[in-house]
Amino acid sequence: MLNPLRSEQEAFRFLIYVAAVFLVIIAVVLVARAF
Amino acid sequence: MESASIAAGAPTAEHDHHGPPEANQSSRVEAQFLGMLLFIISEIMLFGAFFTAYFFIRVVADDGWFPMDGNELPKLIAGVNTAILISSSFTMHWALEGARNENRAALRTGMLTTLLLGATFLSVQINEYVHVGFAPADSAQGTIFYGLTGLHGAHVFIGLTLLTFATIRAYRGHFTPKEHRGVEVPGIYWHFVDAMWIVVYTTIYIL
Repeated sequence: MLNPLRSEQEAFRFLIYVAAVFLVIIAVVLVARAF
Repeated sequence: MESASIAAGAPTAEHDHHGPPEANQSSRVEAQFLGMLLFIISEIMLFGAFFTAYFFIRVVADDGWFPMDGNELPKLIAGVNTAILISSSFTMHWALEGARNENRAALRTGMLTTLLLGATFLSVQINEYVHVGFAPADSAQGTIFYGLTGLHGAHVFIGLTLLTFATIRAYRGHFTPKEHRGVEVPGIYWHFVDAMWIVVYTTIYIL
């Protein structure tokens, strides 16, 4: 299981996941606003 | 009298020990990990309090969120600033990989680049405050804008302080493939600060 407090590598992976999730949220919001 | 002479003549382990008693350590949880866990939990609660205020204002404020009173939040500049901060996490990761693989050039260049990118982020944010056109006292929206971004900016400043020490130590050759905790811990903190900015940017500027 991913634990961002265990090592820098896992913290970095966690950051990538957060960025990906929020990128999707931003895309959905922008698309929803466009229509 | 007798007990005093016994104590003076036969020193025990307790009497040999100087300074405060050694801290109790759980055998299951590593002390450094527990410290970082408690710290991050307290940070999440702190940011959570600010986000609560933000969402409360978004729901109850009659005049809505920005743009308001002719002031627009600089989404594009903040977006570029977000890219700068996220790229600093990549250079941080690169630096630590350098430490793990005994690549000192990568470690030093990575740490210095991370430091410069973080400083750039902070200076752009300060410049944004100068030109944004409203003050914290102007409205509740302005208060929470400065509150949330300022709280995050303070964390970036702390991260930069940690990175400065780690960079100096990297140039002095303090880190080895086996012992590089001085880079690893600031790295974890820096990734946390970056992840928190993604949340702050999305809620403040985009939503």
